[in-house]
Amino acid sequence: MSVEKVKSDHPNYWRVFLTFARNSLVRDMMFRTNFLLEAVSSLSWSLMNVGFYWIVFEHASSIGAQTGWGKYEFFVFMGTTWIINSLVQAFFMPNSEEFSEMIRTGGLDFAMLKPIDTQFLISFRKVSWSSLSNLLLGIVLVVLSLNQLATRAENPWRLEPASLLLYPLYIACGAAILYSLMICLAATSVWLGRNQTLYDFWFYITNFSRYPMEIYARGWGIPLWLIFTFVIPVLVVVNVPARLLAQPLTPRASWEWPLALFTLFATVACLLASRWVFQKALLSYRSASS
Amino acid sequence: MAIIEIDQLSKSYRVYQKQEGLLAAIRGLWHREYRDVEAVKSIDLKVEQGEFVAFLGPNGAGKTTTLKLLSGVIYPSGGTARVMGHVPWERNNDYRRRFALVMGQKNQLWWDLPAQESFRLHQQIYQIDREAFSNRLSELADLLGVEKLLGRPVRELSLGERMKMELIAALLHSPEVLFLDEPTIGLDVVAQHNIQQFLKYYQQERKITILLTSHYMKDIAALCKRVVVINDGMIKFDGSLANIVESFSGLRILRLLLAEGQTAEGLERFAEVESVELPKVTLRCPREKATKSLSNILQHYQVEDISVEDPPLEEVIANLFNATE
Repeated sequence: MSVEKVKSDHPNYWRVFLTFARNSLVRDMMFRTNFLLEAVSSLSWSLMNVGFYWIVFEHASSIGAQTGWGKYEFFVFMGTTWIINSLVQAFFMPNSEEFSEMIRTGGLDFAMLKPIDTQFLISFRKVSWSSLSNLLLGIVLVVLSLNQLATRAENPWRLEPASLLLYPLYIACGAAILYSLMICLAATSVWLGRNQTLYDFWFYITNFSRYPMEIYARGWGIPLWLIFTFVIPVLVVVNVPARLLAQPLTPRASWEWPLALFTLFATVACLLASRWVFQKALLSYRSASS
Repeated sequence: MAIIEIDQLSKSYRVYQKQEGLLAAIRGLWHREYRDVEAVKSIDLKVEQGEFVAFLGPNGAGKTTTLKLLSGVIYPSGGTARVMGHVPWERNNDYRRRFALVMGQKNQLWWDLPAQESFRLHQQIYQIDREAFSNRLSELADLLGVEKLLGRPVRELSLGERMKMELIAALLHSPEVLFLDEPTIGLDVVAQHNIQQFLKYYQQERKITILLTSHYMKDIAALCKRVVVINDGMIKFDGSLANIVESFSGLRILRLLLAEGQTAEGLERFAEVESVELPKVTLRCPREKATKSLSNILQHYQVEDISVEDPPLEEVIANLFNATE
């Protein structure tokens, strides 16, 4: 036996994460043109979206009457969507996809051998740095829109210290909820043998989450609202943080604070569920033959 | 206490029984037939610290499944195993820091990055001291002759070079137990030889315990004193390589160099004639009759030279597999 100092049971997760991020950056820089193309294409897609909604708001002054979602409030909402999506795409999307592939090809073997939490290793292995371009754009859009709201004549927006704190918190909650859904979906590859619906799923889910939830308040939208709030809580992902920032903190409708509280609960529940599904998946993993 | 103790270990898989044809495939959408495949059937095995043991067996015999069970990658259907006192599939970090698995057909290094970046990641994950890390890395790279390749992206390396990097990655944390699953598969003779030499040296130097599976007899003959033959999920033989030949080949091969003018006619009276290329004749006969046959042959023929050999290892093993199926 070697006479090294006694090791703690777990490595320093933060340093491992930094090494992952660093290696990913080195890798991305090796394929510079690809990196630039990825960044440019996602940026231009986002800018086209701004253009599209700009046109929409030429025809209407807000999304629904009396909802408080005017043009710039909605742009805050949209910027929030980008921020959360780009976080998920940068940190979790490539890893969930690879997880699904590792299950199919047996590459998960190596991950399971390492003296580190397997879910951590699987979830943070790669960082897609180019996806962070939309994070910057999202922040710019939010700041510009808030500036517009703050300088308008009637009922100008005011920065409240509480929102400054709550906004990042709920962004993190939103990203965590999406992460949990994604890792659960990828884990199903263990039972299904193959699951390539990840991108499709991502598209459907984010489609539901990228509009203010008031639009579901009518007719058959109500069951949708119920399902996507309480069963698969994707509606709270963008809605809660965007509302906290774009709308004045007071007065608030009676349901808003309970919803914010529920979001915290949903985040914890989703993370625990993802942990549970992940562990179950490892138990059922049979490893591809060599 | 043995470093590896396996007791009644079994693993069975449920596999979907595919039927041929489109119609059957459609029927398979809602009605599926499954069948249980027993990959490992109640294996018992003890390995002592410092042993270098080979797992030998045809494809699908259960060698890799056994290694995966011992690595904790999959869960057994029955039985127990302990490696260094740990139950592998509990996968606790203390165990995982003390062993390594190398698979010849899978790689764990980042494909697009130089191997040293992956090694640095291992340093973090295995909590290797900076100094110990750089010492071990330069020692291993030196032994394997790959110092100059550490900075080159893994995808630009040859198969042999990549395998060497995989070995370094597996050994950086100084595992006490090493599982090698066909580490020389697909390599050319020179690369195979290099890796054999390295493994031999490293094992003797560090006195670590190694379990190796391989299809190449040369690997096994060069490295392992003890051979465990697995076929059909069961252990069919456990002993030394020499013993395998002893117990599974009752044959001797007699090579004769006949004197000029002699023909092979009539030799079949004394032993089975395998080939005749005058003046060379190859015969085979049961081990216990070898002496008798030889003296008979020498009485009736003029022979310039004689050798008596065991049949080639490959052949013995093939017979063994056939016999145990």
